Amino acid sequence: MADLFHNLYVGFAAILSVQNVFLCFVGCLLGTLIGVLPGIGPLATIAILMPLTYNAEPIGSLIMLAGIYYGSQYGGSTTAILVNMPGETSSLVTTFDGHAMAKQGRAGKALGIAAIGSFIAGTFATFVIAAIAIPLSKLALSFTAGNYFALMVLGLALAIVLAGGSVIKAVCTLIIGIVMALIGADQITAEPRLTFGLQILYDGFDVAIVSMGLFGIAEILRNLEFPEQKPFVGTVTGSLLPDRNDIKQSAGAIARGSVLGSIIGIIPGNGATLSSFVSYALEKALSKQPERFGKGAIEGVAGPESANNAAAQTTFIPLLTLGLPSTAVMALVGGAMTLHGVVPGPQVITKHPDLFWGVVSSMWVGNLMLVVINLPLIGIWVKFLKVPYHLLFPTIVLFCCIGIYSVNSRPSDVLEVAAFGAVGYVLFKLRFELAPLLLGLVLGAMLEDNLRRGLILSNGNVWTFLSEPLTLVLLLAALLALGAALVPSLSKGREILVDED
Amino acid sequence: MTSHHTNPQSNVAPRQIPRFARVDVIGGALMIFIAALIWFGALALDGGTLVRIGSGALPRGLAVLLFLAGAVVLVQGLLQSNDQAERVYLAVRPAAIVLGAIVLFGLFIRGGDFGLFSTPQLGLMIVGPLTVFIAGSATPEMELKSLIVLSFGLTAAMLLIFMDLLSVTIPVFPKFIQDPLTFAIGIDTLVRIAYVAYGGLAAALYVFFFGLPEMRRG
Repeated sequence: MADLFHNLYVGFAAILSVQNVFLCFVGCLLGTLIGVLPGIGPLATIAILMPLTYNAEPIGSLIMLAGIYYGSQYGGSTTAILVNMPGETSSLVTTFDGHAMAKQGRAGKALGIAAIGSFIAGTFATFVIAAIAIPLSKLALSFTAGNYFALMVLGLALAIVLAGGSVIKAVCTLIIGIVMALIGADQITAEPRLTFGLQILYDGFDVAIVSMGLFGIAEILRNLEFPEQKPFVGTVTGSLLPDRNDIKQSAGAIARGSVLGSIIGIIPGNGATLSSFVSYALEKALSKQPERFGKGAIEGVAGPESANNAAAQTTFIPLLTLGLPSTAVMALVGGAMTLHGVVPGPQVITKHPDLFWGVVSSMWVGNLMLVVINLPLIGIWVKFLKVPYHLLFPTIVLFCCIGIYSVNSRPSDVLEVAAFGAVGYVLFKLRFELAPLLLGLVLGAMLEDNLRRGLILSNGNVWTFLSEPLTLVLLLAALLALGAALVPSLSKGREILVDED
Repeated sequence: MTSHHTNPQSNVAPRQIPRFARVDVIGGALMIFIAALIWFGALALDGGTLVRIGSGALPRGLAVLLFLAGAVVLVQGLLQSNDQAERVYLAVRPAAIVLGAIVLFGLFIRGGDFGLFSTPQLGLMIVGPLTVFIAGSATPEMELKSLIVLSFGLTAAMLLIFMDLLSVTIPVFPKFIQDPLTFAIGIDTLVRIAYVAYGGLAAALYVFFFGLPEMRRG
């Protein structure tokens, strides 16, 4: 326990400089600003804003990224409550009771309890991360290459199965992502692979460029298909702070949501979404008056919002301790870390303790920022909600162009963004999930590396490689998860579990 | 991925969707095509042995897997009943306009040799407003007047944010103007003059088109 607090102290000492707090503040602000815009979720927000973080030093840029992440999450909830348009699936549940509260003139309370619940859940999840990071990374250091390979396969399988959509199509995009990771110079021999003679492919694909195209630009193209809707924007009325009665009603929901979210977030797949659904169902089941749900029950906002924030935080655990991102957002964060010369994995905690604990404590600072800064600014966010989309999207287009150009000063990067925008749009229209592609792109090189080393260690004997107990168990679990999702009768149940509508 | 819109085609009375126009058929065929591309790209690479797998092994293995998965999607698409099927619908025009705007930015911001052709540097002062103007015309909701104001105003704002606040270097003017001017008055002053000028232009155009803004609250 003393260790835990010492570690958190190291973290706070690393990040508490004026410059870093300022970066976190700017990140939170920008994240909320973009995240609050209807139709732009956290993933697109981070993809669009990522180039901005490149100018800072590693720790500062990661702190800014964390700020953007939490800001965009909270921005999504604001949109859900005020406009009834969830920016992302994890705040979909919030629309049920949050928007009902807004219609009753209690929007202020809904926004307030969402922020307060998120903060409490975030604080709890920060301790969870601090407590289990060291044992988990120690365990990870004892893994052989074969274990690692199997763990990655299991993580990717779970990410596909739990993320919703067609499993077989998600497998397709995952494979494309892995192949994209292999394009360019071979890790060992440095010979060009799959470059088709193009010099531009020799350097491989940059995660920032691919994700800005696939998630930022493609999102704009998708939104342009539809005539602009003039959404009903609720006005923020009433006090932002919950009264005694509200606190009494939501305290239990926040506590349960925090625990639930922290656990579900660790599992690969869309933890934030899943946990908010489970929390909502749990609160409804435990409630003495379940008929209030959907009609403005404050615990129907408090529970899911706490749960998805706790989960949003604990999804960092697989990335920071094992080096395995479990969601597309984490893949982006991992990409940003790699860019600054810090390859996420079990070694980070010992090699760069200030960085590791800095990231953990910056999560808490980011959450605090949300309560202290975003709530008072809520009036401004509401104004942004009213900006018409036709003025908004050219702004985002220009911002993306300049942003990505500013990273390397390479005009070809901008062209690549356009190409991936087109790819993302077409694949979306053909109903392919794009998140697995990003996961594959980030993990592909590691997957091949561990397979190679595992096979060398087992002298090229596939059976020796597979028969190691842990490897075998993990691979079988992966097979089971994929198989179960592909069997029609079971996949029905899965759809009910994860499908948004 | 998150938003779940209804397809604009779906409120039309149910019609027979031809097999070749189905989402899964085209999607599956596309996957098979990509698998073939990977396979042929990896043919020249060394497969290696199991002890030391070569650079071609994993790409070829993945190509086979992708081929199989794509084939399943394709067959599903061919066999599914008409009401399970979904017609492919692409909004080509707005997509092409927005992507064209981005490509234009990439080609002319600094210029350079793009293999088949080379382009001159035009700088953000010219490329910025053009990109906004072209991208903005992708939607019928856009009014010409507000788009013109937006083009100059946004370019000014981006110069301020990126060049002055974040000190990122982006070409501002065409090369033949930028080089002598930078030499004469320094890049910082140049950028400041540039965004003040465009900001002022945007404000003047706004007043010219829409009159002085009334001070409204709430």
